[in-house]
Amino acid sequence: MARTKNSPEVDATPVTSNSPSTVIARLSARTSVRAGVGWGLVFGFYVATQALTYATTYKTAASRHILVQEFGNNAGISALVGPAIRIDTVPGFTSWKCLTVLAIMGAVWGILTSTKLTRGEEDAGRWELLLAGRVTRRSAAQQALVGMSAGALGLFVSTALIITAVGHSSKVNIGVGSALCFSLAVAGGALMFLVIGALCAQLSTSRRQAISFASAVLGVSYAIRMVADSGSGLSWLRWITPLGWIEEMRPLTSPRLWVLAPVAALVAVLGAGTILLAGRRDVGAGTLPDRSTLSSVRRLPTSPWGLAVYLSRGTLLAWGGSIVAYGLLLGSIAKSGGKMITASSSLRNDFARLGISGAEAYLSVAYLLMAVVLSFVAVGQVNAARKEESGGLLENLLVRPFSRVSWLTQRIALATAVLALGGVLAGLSTWVGAAREHADVPLSSMFDAGLNVAVPALLIFGVGVLALAVVPRMVSVVTYAVLVWFLLVEILGSVVTANHWILDLSGYHQMAAAPAVAVNWSANAVMIALAVGAAGLGVLRFNRRDVKGE
Amino acid sequence: MSAPAIAAFDLAKNFGDTHALQGLDLQVEEGQIVGCLGPNGAGKTTMIRLLLGLLVPSRGRAEIFGLDTRRQTVAAHRRLAYVPGEANLWPSLSGAETLRLLGNVHGQVDLTYQAELIERFNLDTTKRVRALSKGNRQKLILVAALMTRAELLILDEPTSGLDPLMEQAFRQCILEAKERGQSVLLSSHILSEVEALCDRIAILRSGALVEMGTMAQLRHLSALTVEATFEVDVPDVAKVPGVSMIEVQGRTLRCQVRGSIEPLLAMLAHSGVQELLSHEPSLEELFLSHYGAPLVEATHGPDEK
Repeated sequence: MARTKNSPEVDATPVTSNSPSTVIARLSARTSVRAGVGWGLVFGFYVATQALTYATTYKTAASRHILVQEFGNNAGISALVGPAIRIDTVPGFTSWKCLTVLAIMGAVWGILTSTKLTRGEEDAGRWELLLAGRVTRRSAAQQALVGMSAGALGLFVSTALIITAVGHSSKVNIGVGSALCFSLAVAGGALMFLVIGALCAQLSTSRRQAISFASAVLGVSYAIRMVADSGSGLSWLRWITPLGWIEEMRPLTSPRLWVLAPVAALVAVLGAGTILLAGRRDVGAGTLPDRSTLSSVRRLPTSPWGLAVYLSRGTLLAWGGSIVAYGLLLGSIAKSGGKMITASSSLRNDFARLGISGAEAYLSVAYLLMAVVLSFVAVGQVNAARKEESGGLLENLLVRPFSRVSWLTQRIALATAVLALGGVLAGLSTWVGAAREHADVPLSSMFDAGLNVAVPALLIFGVGVLALAVVPRMVSVVTYAVLVWFLLVEILGSVVTANHWILDLSGYHQMAAAPAVAVNWSANAVMIALAVGAAGLGVLRFNRRDVKGE
Repeated sequence: MSAPAIAAFDLAKNFGDTHALQGLDLQVEEGQIVGCLGPNGAGKTTMIRLLLGLLVPSRGRAEIFGLDTRRQTVAAHRRLAYVPGEANLWPSLSGAETLRLLGNVHGQVDLTYQAELIERFNLDTTKRVRALSKGNRQKLILVAALMTRAELLILDEPTSGLDPLMEQAFRQCILEAKERGQSVLLSSHILSEVEALCDRIAILRSGALVEMGTMAQLRHLSALTVEATFEVDVPDVAKVPGVSMIEVQGRTLRCQVRGSIEPLLAMLAHSGVQELLSHEPSLEELFLSHYGAPLVEATHGPDEK
C-alpha cells in the first residue's frame, strides 16, 4: 500500500525534458562555442588584415624581393615565428606572419577554456550537485570534452568563414581549400591544447595549478619548435612538438592534410586519459599527490601588502618574463624592421633629417603593442583587487584594525610600482636586444620610451580604481572597455580621418611615439594627473560604500 | 561611567527596496553577553556588518566603546574580534600561517592562549586551508578571533559546522571570556547555546527588534504552560481571564496562562485536581511564539478576549 502511495513521487516526471546525461556537455558547449566563435572572428580578422596589408604595401615584385632578401634566411626571426617560406606571395607571407602567432593564441584559448570548464567548475562546487545526481565522474569529463570540442569547431568555422571571404579578393587570392586547411591547423592546435588542459586539470588540485602545468607544456612545445626552426640542423625536432605539426601542415603554401594524423592521435589518447583519470580520482582532489600539509611555517610576509605581493608573485613574474621576452624580441629585430620602413627613400630622407635611425622608427610603431601589454597588467591589477573584495578575503583584513584607505592605497602603490618596473624592464630589454644587433638605439631614449608606454596603463588603472569604488561589480567590464577603446581609436584613427576630439580621448593617441620622437612629458603629466585624480576620488568613494560580494 | 561595548542608535539599512534593518536601538554593556536571535533574513548579519563598518548605514549610527563605527573604524576594531559564519581564507596558506597573518594585522596576540586554543579545538595548523573541512576552517577563524583577547567579541553564527564536542569547547571559551570581563554579541540559531551563555537576549524580526531582555524578563512577557489532571470531569476554563490555547485529552487539560495565574488557580481549587504541573516556556517556545506571533494571534484571538 505504502509503495503505491509513494510511487508517483519516485516516478515523478522530470522537471525538464532535457536528459540529465547531457547536461554538462550542453553547458560546456554553450560557454565554449560562444568564446570559440568570438576568438575565431578575431583570428579571421587578424589574418585578413595581414593579408590585405601585405597586398597593398608590397605591390611590386621588386619590393617583395627585398623582403625575401631581408627575412628569407633570417634564423632569428625564423626561430620566433617559423621559417619564411615563399613570403614573396600573399599566402606565404600571411602564413608566416599568422600561423605560429594564432597557433599560440589558440593554445592559450584551449588551456583557459578547458581548465575553466572542468577544474574551474569543480572548484566552484557546481559539478558536485550534478555528480550527486545521475552523472558519473567519467561521464562528466567525457561530456565536458565533447562540449568543448564544439567550441573548437566554432573557432574553426568562424575563422574559416572570414579567411575564405577575404581570400576571394583578387589582391589576396587564397583558395577555399587553403583557407579551410589554415583554419583547421589553427583550430587543431586549439583542440590539442584544450585536451592537454583537460588532462592537466585531472592531474592537479586547482585550476591555477592546471593552468601552470598546461602552460609549461605549451612553453616546452614552443621552445622545441624554436630550436627546430633556428637552422641548427635539428629540424626533425618539429615532429615531436604539437606546434611543429601545425607548422608542418603548411596550410597556405602546400597543404598536407595527413599531418592531421598525429594531431588526431594526440587528442584521442589524451582525451581517453582524461576520462580514465577522472573516474579514478576523488572529486575536488588531483591525481598527483598534493602537499596539503606543511611541516613548518614558511617565512611568509605577514603584512597585507607583503602578502598581496607574495600571492601574486607567479602572475607578476609571468608578466615580467613576457615583457622582457617581448622587449628582447623587438630590440633584436628593430634593425631589420627599420630597414623595412626606410626601404622607401622618401621616408629614409625624412627620418635622416630628424636624426632618427630606422630601428627607432620601427620601435616607435611596435611599442604600441608594449603599451597594450602593460595596460593588460593594469587591468589585471584592478581586477585582482576587486576579486580580493568579492571573494571575501578583504573582509578578514577590514574587520581588524586595518582601514579601507590603507588597503586601497597599498594596492595602488603596488600597481604603480609594477607598471613603472614593467616600463623600465620593457625599455631595458629592448635596448639590450637592439644593442646585441648593433642597432643604433640610445639607452636613455629606450628608457624613456619604456616609461612612456606605462603612462596610458596607469591611466587605465586610475579609471579602474574609480570604477572599483563606484561600480564594483562592473570593474572588469569598465577596465577592458577603456583598454579596447584606447586601442580601437588609435588603430582606426590612423586609418580613418577622425575628429580630433575622439582621437584625444585615447590614451595611446596622447602618448608620444617614442623612441622616434621625444617623450611628450606634458601630455603624460596630464594623463598621470587624470589617473591620480580618478584613483584619489576612488579612494574617497570606496570609504563610503558597502563592502560587496559577487 | 565607561561607554557601552556596543551602542546602536536608530540604525537602519536599506538594500534598494528591501528594509534589511529598520531603526535598531541596541546596547551591550561592558562584560555582558548578549544573544541575538531571529529567523533567516531577520537582519542579524546586516546589523553585525553595520557594527563592523563593512556596510554604510542608511540612517542612524553605531558606536563601539564610544568610538563611531564609521569615522573611528580602526580604533574601534583594535578593541574587538569578529567571527563570521563562513570563513573565506587564503587557500594556499596553512593554518599556522593564517594565524600569524591575522594576528599580525590585529596587532595583539596572547601566544600562550593561542597554543591552548589550538589544543582545545584540536586544530591541525600544518594543513593548508584548502585541505580543511568547513568545520575545521571555522575552528581556525574562531582561534584567530579568540587569541586576541579582544574586549568585545562579535560572533555571527560562530559554531556553524562544529561538532558537539567543539561546540562545548566554544561555550567554555565564551564563559571564560565573560569571567575576564570581555563583552560578547552572539548571533545564533542554536537556542540552547544562547540560553546557556547569554545574559540578555535580543529577538529580531523583519529588520526590527521585537524583544530585548533577560531570560526572566522574556519569560514574564510570555505565557506559562499549565497541565492539570482531574478526578472526574475537566471544567470549562475558557472564560477564565488570561487563559488560551486550551487542549483537553480525556481528563487532562493543557492550557497557557498570560499574566496572573490566580483566577485559574481559584477555579481549579474547586474542581477536584488530581495532578498539577506548570512550567515556564523554554527559549524555543519563546522564540517560536515571537516568530509565529501573527499566526497564533489570528487563530486564538477570540480566546484572549
